[in-house]
Amino acid sequence: MFLNAVIIVLQEILEASLLISVLLVFTQLFHKIWGKSFSLKTSWVAYSIILGIIGAGLYSHYTPQVSEWFDYVGQEVVNASIHIGSLILLLILAFVVPSKKITGKLMTRSRLTTFCMTGVVLLAIIREGSEIMQYVGGIAGQSGNFTPIVFGGIIGAGIGLSIGVLLYYGLMSLSIKWAYRLGLILLMLIAGNMGSQAVLLLTQADWLPFTPIAWNTSALLAEDSILGHLLYALIGYEATPSILQLVCYLSGMIMIAISPLFRKVQPHNQSLAGTN
Amino acid sequence: MKNSASMLLLSITLTSLFSYPASAAVAEIELVIKDHLFFPATLEIPAGQKVRIRIINQDSTPEEFESYELNREKIIVGNGQAVIFIGPLEPGRYPFFGEFFPKTAQGVVIVK
Amino acid sequence: MRSIRLFLISSILATLVLFNFLAALQGYQSSMEEAETLFDNQMLDLARLVSNLDVSNSNTTEIRLGNDLAFQIWEDGSLLAASSNAPDELLQNFTPGFEFTNFNGYRWRTFSRFEPSLNRWVIVAERTDLRFVLAENVVLQSIFPLLLGIPLVGLLIWVIVSHGLKPLQQLSTELKNKRANDLSPIHHTDSRVELDQVIESTNGFIQRLGRVMEREKRFSADAAHELRTPISALKIQLHNLSEEIDTNHDSFLALQYGVERMQHLIEQLLWLYRATPEQFVANCKAVDLFKITQDQLAILYPGFEKKAQQIELQGDSAFVEGDQFALEKLISNLLRNANKYTQEGGKIVVRIEELEAAGEDAVKGSAEKEICLTVEDNGPGIAESDRVRVFDRFYRADSQDDTPLSPGCGLGLTIVSHIAELHHARVVLEESSMESGCAFKVYFKKIS
Repeated sequence: MFLNAVIIVLQEILEASLLISVLLVFTQLFHKIWGKSFSLKTSWVAYSIILGIIGAGLYSHYTPQVSEWFDYVGQEVVNASIHIGSLILLLILAFVVPSKKITGKLMTRSRLTTFCMTGVVLLAIIREGSEIMQYVGGIAGQSGNFTPIVFGGIIGAGIGLSIGVLLYYGLMSLSIKWAYRLGLILLMLIAGNMGSQAVLLLTQADWLPFTPIAWNTSALLAEDSILGHLLYALIGYEATPSILQLVCYLSGMIMIAISPLFRKVQPHNQSLAGTN
Repeated sequence: MKNSASMLLLSITLTSLFSYPASAAVAEIELVIKDHLFFPATLEIPAGQKVRIRIINQDSTPEEFESYELNREKIIVGNGQAVIFIGPLEPGRYPFFGEFFPKTAQGVVIVK
Repeated sequence: MRSIRLFLISSILATLVLFNFLAALQGYQSSMEEAETLFDNQMLDLARLVSNLDVSNSNTTEIRLGNDLAFQIWEDGSLLAASSNAPDELLQNFTPGFEFTNFNGYRWRTFSRFEPSLNRWVIVAERTDLRFVLAENVVLQSIFPLLLGIPLVGLLIWVIVSHGLKPLQQLSTELKNKRANDLSPIHHTDSRVELDQVIESTNGFIQRLGRVMEREKRFSADAAHELRTPISALKIQLHNLSEEIDTNHDSFLALQYGVERMQHLIEQLLWLYRATPEQFVANCKAVDLFKITQDQLAILYPGFEKKAQQIELQGDSAFVEGDQFALEKLISNLLRNANKYTQEGGKIVVRIEELEAAGEDAVKGSAEKEICLTVEDNGPGIAESDRVRVFDRFYRADSQDDTPLSPGCGLGLTIVSHIAELHHARVVLEESSMESGCAFKVYFKKIS
């Protein structure tokens, strides 16, 4: 019970806290790079977390109904939609970020960026949070389960949040250039993972055709090892991804790579290197 | 130029996600969860075929069907049911378990 | 926006939680493995025991074990004996070793063993959920203090970090509270190696700034002082000249006025640089504002008489803390100003009164008293738009009207506000209570 609670809570919390960390780092970097002209309020994090928890409560409450939709594959469809929605918001974010030297205020762009960040985190928390709520709410009430699940939950949440906090401060301690580059790589992996997860869920629901698996690395790194769990939460590691999953993972990454967010790194290299 | 290219790529990806209709005439297997155990604990399916597994949870607690080998993960609400498609698969053993009660809820899919 | 304290607390706590919890997980896993081995060994012993059971006696089939254990004894493919809770089917294939199986609505750990001497298979089973719960409860007891400790550790880290940052906080408070004109070095008694350089550099800056300001002050003072001698010489020569030529000559009058004005300017300049905060504090004592005003009025009376102005002094003795000489200058400048800008035959009222403190910093209900010095006239007054500028250096309301009667240089009111500032007094320029004119009011703190 205990170990399970750790794994379930850790996995969900870690995914959300990594996402929040990376987006918060970008919020700070935007402020450093553009100053007041393209500056986002960090309060979006608080809003998205609060709304996300409310949303997660609603979603987990209505899961029995949702799971009956589309001949009992409603959950897959809804979760896949959440992944696709998150991916679209991430891409909008990557494309509205100003890429050239800018003049004046960019109210619309910064509002839209804030909206996207809030949305991505909100959706992530709805999905991850509802899973934790169903697990804890459904199981912890049974006699004998309470202590191990609460302990496990605290330990899982503690590890997940700690990694998020350390990632945030780790990235913030780098120079702007490197923080931006690493943040971007993480964002690309997150985007790729969202695409891949959506494909997996829709294949499971038989809404997408089966495609053979691309490779099998379970002997190299098992998914149920601790490192496997961490990598799954971090970059969506799967020992046996299907070809379609791989294609969508790569397209998610490529779309971030061709966005202004990515190009931002190049022209400002010299000027950025000296600022921190 | 680059923007339009990326939007094109996005639309291709999105249409590819939704344009495939569900295939018909798939064999269905029933898997019952009771007292945090799977019945039957061993499922035998033919190789190279898609199979629909209908999981019926007779417990009041939720359970999560999970298998790393099958790459499947799904919550089945208490006293509810759910459908999972697996396959086509190569012959072999594909263990699965209930993530919420893994000590007892264990099973395996044997593909022949 | 980014705080050192928040960074230290959250990153230290996160590191601690991460490694502690991972260690707890590791400990849990290895303890559980140990427990599994222990339980398995027990099953091994049980199997050995059961294999040697004498089952020829019929009632052994009735053997009841606890709810968590079961066994079967097979011989030649048929069930020879079993515990009452065991099913009739074969629990495990005839392969020696451990396995898992489901029966009776539970999941069981099974172990099968072949006893060659009796040619029989023995299968023992133990409920996994029960043995797992048993082991887990024991292991969790050891994890519990770790969880309980985290809030305590967090609190401790918070206290330690706050304590560690205290010297920095003190330094920043000290710098914040430093008055703009206070050029004394920072005395940080509670020094830290990390802050020494900051304090040293800051003190270096302050010292250099002080030296620069001192040099500037000394230059102006010296220059003004040095100019005094030639001016005095000029005045003597002017006096000598007046005995020899017609003094009503326009050029002579202009020359006389110019010299007078220059002398006044130099006196005022000297004054402005003499009144430094350091000097001021040294000379501070309780002085009678009414007395000073009286004396100054007596000195300046000829000026009022010349313009046939009516002057009136109201009030009574009122003591304030200040420098006698500076207050004399303040009052004389105000009086000169009134004398200068009020028309001939005008009226000037000087009033000294005690008031309840009305300043925004006064606490309600406190018995704080103020002494208000008012100099008002019925002259032309000062336009509202000009009021803020009258205290500026070299500002003159009548800059186009250079009559010999007003040898002002535009520094008088600047000096007034400067002296008032040294006394922590407020200077307010208001409309006169008479039909026209203006009123200068200086609010001093009353000595308690």
